[in-house]
Amino acid sequence: MEDGIISEARANVDLGVGLRVVVGDQVGYAYTEDLSDEAMLSAARSAAAIAHGSSVALPGAFTAATPGRFYELPVAWSDVAVDAKLPIIRRVAELAKAGDASIDKINVSWNDEDERVLIVDLEGHMVVDRRPMTRLNVSTTAKKGDVSQSGGSNLAARHGIDWYTEERLQTVAREAVDRTMMLFEARQPPAGELPVVLAAGASGILLHEAIGHGMEADFNRKNTSIYADMIGKPVAPEFVTIVDDGTLPNERGALNFDDEGMPTERTVLVDHGVLASYLHDRISARHYGLSASTGSGRRQSFRHVPLPRMRCTTMLDGPHTRDEIVASVERGIVAETFTNGQVQIGAGDFTFYIKNGWLIENGKVTAPIRDCNIIGNGPEALRAVTMAANDSKLDTGGWTCGKDGQGVPVSQGLPTVLVSKMTVGGTHA
Amino acid sequence: MLELDDVKALSERAAAAVEMAKKAGADHAWASAGTSRSTECHVRDGALEKMQHSHSRRLSVDLYVDGRYFNHTTSDLRDGPLREFMAEAVALTGALEPDPHRALPDPALYKGRASVDLQAVDGGLASLDNEGRLALCHAMDGRMSGKTDVISASSTVFDGRFGSAQASSNGFSGAHESTFVGTYGNVTLQGEGDRRPEGGMGVGARHRGDLLDPQWIGDEALRRAKARLGSRKGPTITTTLVVDRMAAGRLLYSLMAPARGWSVQQGRSLWADKIDKAAISKVLTLVDQPLLPRAMGSRLFDGEGIAAKPMTVFEGGALRNLFLDTYYARKLGKTPTSGGSSNLVVTPGEGDLDSLVADAGKGVYVTSWLGGNSDATSGEFSLGLRGHLIEGGKIGAPVGEMNVTGNLLDLFSRLSKVGGDPWTYGSLHIPTMVFEDVSFSGE
Repeated sequence: MEDGIISEARANVDLGVGLRVVVGDQVGYAYTEDLSDEAMLSAARSAAAIAHGSSVALPGAFTAATPGRFYELPVAWSDVAVDAKLPIIRRVAELAKAGDASIDKINVSWNDEDERVLIVDLEGHMVVDRRPMTRLNVSTTAKKGDVSQSGGSNLAARHGIDWYTEERLQTVAREAVDRTMMLFEARQPPAGELPVVLAAGASGILLHEAIGHGMEADFNRKNTSIYADMIGKPVAPEFVTIVDDGTLPNERGALNFDDEGMPTERTVLVDHGVLASYLHDRISARHYGLSASTGSGRRQSFRHVPLPRMRCTTMLDGPHTRDEIVASVERGIVAETFTNGQVQIGAGDFTFYIKNGWLIENGKVTAPIRDCNIIGNGPEALRAVTMAANDSKLDTGGWTCGKDGQGVPVSQGLPTVLVSKMTVGGTHA
Repeated sequence: MLELDDVKALSERAAAAVEMAKKAGADHAWASAGTSRSTECHVRDGALEKMQHSHSRRLSVDLYVDGRYFNHTTSDLRDGPLREFMAEAVALTGALEPDPHRALPDPALYKGRASVDLQAVDGGLASLDNEGRLALCHAMDGRMSGKTDVISASSTVFDGRFGSAQASSNGFSGAHESTFVGTYGNVTLQGEGDRRPEGGMGVGARHRGDLLDPQWIGDEALRRAKARLGSRKGPTITTTLVVDRMAAGRLLYSLMAPARGWSVQQGRSLWADKIDKAAISKVLTLVDQPLLPRAMGSRLFDGEGIAAKPMTVFEGGALRNLFLDTYYARKLGKTPTSGGSSNLVVTPGEGDLDSLVADAGKGVYVTSWLGGNSDATSGEFSLGLRGHLIEGGKIGAPVGEMNVTGNLLDLFSRLSKVGGDPWTYGSLHIPTMVFEDVSFSGE
């Protein structure tokens, strides 16, 4: 919806098959969108071009795994009519319009997917999964005199249409308006090293960038991650436990099975401050002599090879409270909403971009801040986590993680956390 | 099964889809059929790591029904499912609301297509087989693997061929074919403590003959990784910013992203009230050049079929033209230009990196960015960076963990020089850029 009109709709059908051949740590991969025997055989030959020697025996039969249960919907998205979605789009736009008299433009976009996956392997495993996804995005622009500001919010999950309750729509519309209106007063913060308080929820981007990617086992088996020699070593204070969990019902990063057909699990990455496990696909599990992967082999679609990836990454509750944390900071910032982040796996340098936040002066939250990049080094930032509160929560935003040109849906969360020092992009004035 | 590996078959498919849409009840339709074949070969530390073959095909149809718009994209090109879908889609558009601005381009804009040979196809590329790809990878790998401090080195060769054809119900017909080939080397080194700094170098081209020597790519990747050894957090300082020609595109993209019809019409553009007004340094002249032979972004018509021609974007300190597609041009009451850029070419100045660094005397030389973003409405931006201090007119110690922060219009008003050394392997042709009195945050 734009300028009050819902005049545009898009539909996309993706259909294809991908074949992966693994020899040791080597991978041959091919896909085709033509499902004729001839085209699939040609793809299989291309994928197998890396292999040498005699052919392997095919399994006598494929055994179907028990379907997972993390996102069963009463009505699949492909069975929901367009006219059932339009009232939700109109309602959220109406709520945003009513949010502030200076709201000038509202864009609402809606997306739903019904993804069906079938995976078989030479060991006779067969997995069938049906993965729903939905996302609602609200963007608002407000105008005061000659000055315009834009902000937004979004919701995403593996839920059905009933998830869009009036309360949820009110929340997402209010967030979009509040984040926009804040910007009229907000300034970029002072430049330099400052204590950073990460607000509970979306601040899980810290974990995603500072440690999550570095714990993906492909980087470690290739020895290119800064965490390659740290398993069993202390990397954070004792109160820090970080998990990556594929089993959280209906969350955006949840999976019944990963894209290698393995069941997902809750993987503890950091256990009471000690580095515990990498995120494994089947190749890295074999490389490290493990009996099974961690169910972390994920891919964007049949066009891509599975890689070790995150699912729902979060830190468990710590011993402090949010108020204690804010009160402990003499001069610093609160980071509240984010747009994106990035990491350099080997050097360990990572960033995330704060869209909205606050200054802290003398232990109190004061003026709003905006648009600043935070840059730090992963292991150093983890060591600098000096406090964590008892308010851990997952963010409901539509996060997508990019790696090697592939995007996969993920979730992230965090309790309120204090990192004692990171470099804050700011202006000197 | 349909084989769509030649332009004639693609053109027939696009025309057939338009006919189907009309029969299903659409007032107007646009169809694009495309196919691609590509291969990636990866070698790590002397051994094959991954060989990937891709074969894609897509059909995209835009339906216009009573001022409503529906786009359908599919890889299922069979007649039956397509015909069924069109009927459903036309019925579904009834649920949408009419918008008087939804329409195909004015057919007059299809006319005047340039008669330039873009040389987008390298006929000889088909002879590059897996053995040839491996040989290129090993040529890069041999300059990186096993060298001092190297933990791991990877070499990649990618190549392929695209074809697409478009047709519309108001008279457009066109097709485009291209090949591409590229090489990339990446090195991870053992740094101080647990740090493993990386460096990479890559090029892409339409013709294999335009690639740089793979051994040079390997050497350059290793040189760039070694340049990161001993990197420290830089200072919080206001000083001269020198941006490498391979990193400058990020800044220009941020400045240009709001120069689109959507952004301006939706009030989400720092350019909204500044078109043709002095807003940035006069040093920057940027022209969109769609007709350069062999260049990666070249085209004879854009995604809507509008005949391509050069368009001045920035000149004399002002934004001169917006990227305007048909829909937002109609909403704004303007004539469409094109909804997207082709090759963005900065008019070169004088000097190369060394001479510009010497002139600067002191400052920060940025080789690449890390993260960061910008606000298209207000222009506020903040970017993480890696690079070197400039000391005594020379490139000095490596620095990282720094941000550069400010407002894009203010930053580009501080642009004092562009070099005469544009990098041309890609659709951005940008030289070294120098900005004065820029705010950095570090220690």
